[in-house]
Amino acid sequence: MANFSATKRLLSLPASARAAFLAPTRAFSVLKRPFPNYEGHVPLNVFERGALAAGSAVMSLLNPRRGDLIAALGETTATPYFIYRLRDAMLSNPTGRRILRDRPRITSRTMSVEKLRALPDNSVGRAYVGWLDGEGVSPDTRDSVKYIDNEECAYVMQRYRESHDFYHAITGLPVFVEGEVALKAFEFANTLLPMTGLSLFAVTRMKPAERSRFWQTYLPWAISNGLKSKEVINVYWEEELERDVADLRAELGLERPPDLRETRKTLREQRKAAKEEKEKISGLTSGKPFVGS
Amino acid sequence: MAVGTPSRALRPYTCSSCARSLKLRSRKFATAASPDIYDVVCVGGGPTGLSLLTALRSSKATSHLRLALVESQDLDRARKWDLPPDQYSNRASSLTPSSQFFLSKIGAWPHVDTSRVQPYHHMRVWDGLSSTARIAFDSPAPEPAIAHMTENQNLTRALLARLESLEPITIFDKTSVANINLGSQPSSPASEDTSLDLSSYPHVTLSSDHTVATRLLVGADGINGPVRTFAGIRTRGWDYDRHGVVATLRLPSDFSHDPGNSRGVTAYQRFLPTGPIALLALPGSYASLVWTATSTQAAKLKSLSTEDFLAMVNAAFRLSVVDLDYMFALSSGQFDELQWRESVSSSTSKEASGDIPQAVEGVQNNSIASFPLRLRHASSYTTHRTALVGDAAHTIHPLAGQGLNMGLGDSRSLASAIEYAVIHGADIGNEMNCLDKYNSEMWMGNNRMLGAVDKLHWLYSVKNGPVIPLRGLGLRAVDALGEWGVKRWVMRQAGAL
Ligand SMILES: Cc1cc2nc3c(=O)[nH]c(=O)nc-3n(C[C@H](O)[C@H](O)[C@H](O)COP(=O)(O)OP(=O)(O)OC[C@H]3O[C@@H](n4cnc5c(N)ncnc54)[C@H](O)[C@@H]3O)c2cc1C
Repeated sequence: MANFSATKRLLSLPASARAAFLAPTRAFSVLKRPFPNYEGHVPLNVFERGALAAGSAVMSLLNPRRGDLIAALGETTATPYFIYRLRDAMLSNPTGRRILRDRPRITSRTMSVEKLRALPDNSVGRAYVGWLDGEGVSPDTRDSVKYIDNEECAYVMQRYRESHDFYHAITGLPVFVEGEVALKAFEFANTLLPMTGLSLFAVTRMKPAERSRFWQTYLPWAISNGLKSKEVINVYWEEELERDVADLRAELGLERPPDLRETRKTLREQRKAAKEEKEKISGLTSGKPFVGS
Repeated sequence: MAVGTPSRALRPYTCSSCARSLKLRSRKFATAASPDIYDVVCVGGGPTGLSLLTALRSSKATSHLRLALVESQDLDRARKWDLPPDQYSNRASSLTPSSQFFLSKIGAWPHVDTSRVQPYHHMRVWDGLSSTARIAFDSPAPEPAIAHMTENQNLTRALLARLESLEPITIFDKTSVANINLGSQPSSPASEDTSLDLSSYPHVTLSSDHTVATRLLVGADGINGPVRTFAGIRTRGWDYDRHGVVATLRLPSDFSHDPGNSRGVTAYQRFLPTGPIALLALPGSYASLVWTATSTQAAKLKSLSTEDFLAMVNAAFRLSVVDLDYMFALSSGQFDELQWRESVSSSTSKEASGDIPQAVEGVQNNSIASFPLRLRHASSYTTHRTALVGDAAHTIHPLAGQGLNMGLGDSRSLASAIEYAVIHGADIGNEMNCLDKYNSEMWMGNNRMLGAVDKLHWLYSVKNGPVIPLRGLGLRAVDALGEWGVKRWVMRQAGAL
């Protein structure tokens, strides 16, 4: 069969040549990589993009601490469609357009942590810095975008990444796996970026109690809020630092999720109480040896 | 008022069954005692009406017919129409080779000021939502042009000049139709009467109170003319809720459409979800715009400053639909938005390759106007002693630039049916012996054209869903099959498209 032999021939070629054959639109060999479209850009052909997506997906599941892999996964799955959708969402909105014009970056240089600490307690900036302090992270812990070809879309990806900590701040969802996954679900419904959806595989690594809480409380909250609220990518965070958090949440049409730390604390206390109770009972029983056995 | 030679050919003819059916349809009868009698009275002196009269006068067999034209406008304005070479009318149409052939045949083309006519040999059509889907039509220079951009007034003036170089016809201009009725019944029995039975002849009463009777009444009176109403011909169609925004634009002065340019003169059309925007070359560095927009968008375009208006036109050929929607919502500042988007992703290379038009630099004063777009098709073009031609018979969406060409086609066909009837001694007002020939030659073809253009309109107004890649595929397929003659076929069908 002609088809079959063609396939066999293809498979016998070196990988780069095969990719060139399969993807005439971005056909270049590793030796003749096109010029980068922006600083730090790594142009990939279709084959490399696929391989990187698959590899980073597997590796990040095995090793969730590899942020660079998660970043690579996010970038390689966002093209060719999803990042354009997010960019267009920004282009349809006056503030989103302004962000794209100004291209602000959120780094420790542009965000003075000291100034933020001086803001009132209920402000967005205070919540953000409180969140950074609480989790022990800094605005600079984000990787730069490398694999998105369109220069403007690369910025959109960067902005999404740098805004992520603000999403934590306004939803109040903590950084440990349970909170992170709930936030990812919200982001997925709001941005439609596939990587945020893929992150939901992390649910498999949760404890049973966390998992059922996720399905029953946080996932429904994430999906309904993600869909009904405005596009959070269009928030000019730098201009909202002094704003009241509840006020901004209301403007975005966002409900506050049940407080995960509180829930956990209550549950922990309940569990502790139950345990003590149990111990008391067992202590009682053990302290009172059976007579006449 | 010029009066032509009295007709030799005037013979009463009505079959008895027709007469009966006419009486059943019983309209009011005119009371005028002795009306002026003509072979053909044409209501409407637009390009269609004038080309019909010119065709009749310029053919040997029909040159002797008694012809009259009724036109509400002052034809002197059309005769004296004259613009300096750096100004162009905003109403220009692309004449297809067959229209041009017809105009040459009736001797009108030599009267057209060809220094104001721009042939084009190339066309680029693309989809605003699927950027890679485009189609190219090329008919490089030694081959005949795809079409000739001609101002409607240049054509009208030429037709009048040619018509008036022939045997004079009766012209009632600055005169509109007051009403149209059938003639009164003869007082004595028809059999022995020597006078003419005019009861089946349409009698047109003019605003001047003068009445003319005619063997054949032609309605070339546009979409809302009185002739179709008189004939009781039904029409079907709808309004598109779209406006055609037209304007005369100026390209950079160092740019000309010279065939010496890398590609040569090219017509551009991009399909946006509201409808297509087209930029058609006029001589020198001028171009004619036809932009199909919603009524809100049309009003917005007309309200913008010149700078912002030009930015919208340039944006419509360059930016994404998302950007355009956003810019339409702004009350000003479109120029600034375009500059910013161009700085993010520049279109200069596409401009250089001729894939998109050069950026327009200026708009002629007071040339921005808009027209509501409609589709209408008369259920038939003829009844006893009446025929409809041009926009009176059919009104089409301008996306394929066919309206005027279809009207000229009607004139050609009706004139040849009349010629045939005259040669064979038949009554030119009779459906079976004359008018049916016209109706059957033109109706089906026009209906197909109206349907195709209407479907294109709806196909391209879809914004989301699987239709978009499919129509992209369709456009690419037609483009790829160019070598197989498919493109030739499309070009021939659409003329301008
Ligand atoms: C935006 C736009 C762009 C277009 N672009 C193109 C193009 O690129 N190519 C193309 O081929 N076509 C184009 N057309 C269509 C074209 O302009 C028309 O099809 C053409 O003008 C029709 O000519 P007509 O003579 O049949 O009718 P009209 O030009 O409408 O003439 C009718 C005449 O009848 C007269 N009249 C009406 N009522 C009366 C009355 N009661 N008594 C006396 N006189 C009367 C009017 O004064 C008028 O002069 C376009 C149309 C629009 C709206």
